[in-house]
Amino acid sequence: MEFITGNQAVVRGALKAGCNYVAGYPITPASSILNECVTAFDNGAGTIIQTEDEIAAIGQCIAASMAGAKPLTATSGPGLCLYSENIGFAQMVEAPLVIVDCQRMGPATGGATATGDGDVIFAGNVTPGGYPLPVFAATDAVSAYKLTYLSFNIAERLRTPVILLTSRDIALTRQSVDLDAVQLPPVIKRQWADPDASFSPYEYDSIENVPDFLPIGGPVPVRCTGSIHGPDGLLTNDRHAIDRKLAHLSAKIMDHRHELTHVDADRDPQADTLILSYGVADGAARDAVDELRSQGHRITHLTLYTLWPMPEQAIRNAASVNVTRIIVPELNIGLYAEQLRRVIHTADIQSITRIDGGLIRPEQIIEAYTMAPCQ
Amino acid sequence: MVETLDIPDIMQADRHDMGFCPGCTHTRVLETLGRVLKKRNLKPQDVCIVSDIGCIGIADRYFTCHTFHGLHGRSVTYAEGLKRARPDLTVIVLIGDGGCGIGTGHLVHTARRNADITVIVCNNFNFGMTGGQHSPTTPPCGLTVTTPHGADAHVMDICSTVTINGAAFAARCSAYTDACEQQLSDAINTPGFALVDVWELCVAHYVGRNKLNPKVLTDLSHQLSLPFDVIARTHSTVPAATSTAPAENAPAVAGITRRSSIRKSLILPRRTEIIVAGSAGQRIRSACGVIGTLVTAANAHAAQCDDFPITVRKGFSVSSLVLSHKPIRNYCLMNPNLVLILSDDGHQRIAQTMDLATPPSVYINDAIIRVDTPRTWRPLPLHNIEKAVGKNAASLAILARLIVQSGMIDPNVLMELATEALTGRHRDDQLRAIAWATRNASSQEGSNP
Repeated sequence: MEFITGNQAVVRGALKAGCNYVAGYPITPASSILNECVTAFDNGAGTIIQTEDEIAAIGQCIAASMAGAKPLTATSGPGLCLYSENIGFAQMVEAPLVIVDCQRMGPATGGATATGDGDVIFAGNVTPGGYPLPVFAATDAVSAYKLTYLSFNIAERLRTPVILLTSRDIALTRQSVDLDAVQLPPVIKRQWADPDASFSPYEYDSIENVPDFLPIGGPVPVRCTGSIHGPDGLLTNDRHAIDRKLAHLSAKIMDHRHELTHVDADRDPQADTLILSYGVADGAARDAVDELRSQGHRITHLTLYTLWPMPEQAIRNAASVNVTRIIVPELNIGLYAEQLRRVIHTADIQSITRIDGGLIRPEQIIEAYTMAPCQ
Repeated sequence: MVETLDIPDIMQADRHDMGFCPGCTHTRVLETLGRVLKKRNLKPQDVCIVSDIGCIGIADRYFTCHTFHGLHGRSVTYAEGLKRARPDLTVIVLIGDGGCGIGTGHLVHTARRNADITVIVCNNFNFGMTGGQHSPTTPPCGLTVTTPHGADAHVMDICSTVTINGAAFAARCSAYTDACEQQLSDAINTPGFALVDVWELCVAHYVGRNKLNPKVLTDLSHQLSLPFDVIARTHSTVPAATSTAPAENAPAVAGITRRSSIRKSLILPRRTEIIVAGSAGQRIRSACGVIGTLVTAANAHAAQCDDFPITVRKGFSVSSLVLSHKPIRNYCLMNPNLVLILSDDGHQRIAQTMDLATPPSVYINDAIIRVDTPRTWRPLPLHNIEKAVGKNAASLAILARLIVQSGMIDPNVLMELATEALTGRHRDDQLRAIAWATRNASSQEGSNP
């Protein structure tokens, strides 16, 4: 057992996954990820650089990824804004990249040292064009460790940027953890092409498949471009090639959504209420569920670690026939609850929010449960 | 030339096949670069051309080497990332004058880091691709679609900008002179950050509105006191880029944090909530961190959340600590069992968020007790304890003693845990504090109202 912060857990997960390139720009509450990586890479085991801004940080990470490295960059909401354009670039060139967003309170500078889960919609829709990317949300240091590791696997497997959300109270709270006890799948590395064969950098036989990789700087010249391109990695005006590439960017994520679904379902088949939680509000939800069950109430609890693509099937499974209402605690104005209403029509969705930088308490959830549901 | 026979040209396009406007100088610059690469015997796999946005951005297809076409102004960031990940690669950026505007920050800081890349600025004084808008290098009175009465902003001196910030090499030339090839060659030869500002003609937009030809380019250089010459040449050997080691060499995870081998187990209550509120310098976060570390070392659970202003050496410092025999999922303080108030700053901070009449045990530094302090307080002789254990150890001494007095942890177990689990430069202070706490656990000093 160790007593570490969520940010330290992120770094440990990244190192375990084989991360070897970190570029970042200091921002509360993400800065200690950068600091920890300086220590971790001090022996020359990886490249660490503090850049002039977030744009340079993610730019270096994308380029290093296309040269074969496994990069990580971490920021908070204001930095995610500056990453935005390059996240679209990473989608287009299909660069594996893990991005950690340690959320803070509110828009703009907001509350740098206060918590929030306000980036949950922004993270999933962070680029123009409208193509999907995986977004995960940690609930504590242990899940931050595991999800960082899994994010690298997914980034490599699907050649995509992946965003992991934490928030101030996960990032900076020191917690007792036993990371050695966390079960992890084997490390996944991107599929490399045969360097002897005639190589096209964006060749796939079916649009949901991922193109084999060769690094820039390797023995076979490789092209990549943020412009719309054909299999050769050069700008194209061919409508068929354009349609195929863009359909591919969607299909390679959406057709593998089952691989991206990470939830924790604690089901009671007799429950009429589902408490659905993610992020730092999950801890209060778990305590509330325990308390309500001890009083004899029948509750199903679902923790979402995957926010995007929305794990619709897992949510429907948890919201089985008996469930008439879903209680969703979150540290924003009810953003994810609003998205759930688009998908779930069989239950009343009751939003619990807190936006002042404090945490939702278990009592707040218990109180919402005991209130008569709206009909 | 025999040795170059087997090496395919890196720049292979015929000028008539290039997509640039007839008469556009980009063609000439690419041909010059092609000659330089050929003379240097570079193989396609040895080079990466990183192209920025604008007309020059379409140049990637004319090269047979690695190519990387990114976002506007960010080409320099990609180039540095590529060079750091692949130190043996020759990385060359093709960027326009517009890209040097939107990406000025990157130029400056990449030069400061002396990243071993070459930046070729294809400077034609306006934004050609978007219809002839003014750029940071549009000369005074230059007519563009967005400066119909003539440009009136100072001309950006790109070479000086990077030179004063540490570039190893900077030069300026007209694309129409022989100096261009020599400068490009010298730039690529230079270890460290090198930039060549190559002046060009945009026949589609700028030349149509302004009198400009190869001769006038030279005149303009004199007028603006921006000479066609090598502006800076250092013999820097700064190793700007270091190799990225294989992932397999990543540091051993266990090496990051010293792991405790303590087998002792603690029996803690279901949930104990503690707040320590004081000021910067009272080592409050450290004190709570020590208790959290010791509890964790004994396989019980702790969660510590800190609250302090960004000016860390002034103002309040508040830590909350939750201790439990089972994993702590909710960090939110519900009903604090123990509140320690060590300064006015801390008192005011927590009074904003909690009713201090509620917690069963509130201890207040006796030096700050006022008439409005809660009636359930007990005085804490902080000054005396500081004298006994030293200022740096006082907060931990108090916290540890109250925890022992509460019966949560046996004093001998606490001392044993501390001896085995604590490391770092404050270890001596911390051990002194714990020793004092265990010795004085039975003393009631500071515990009675």
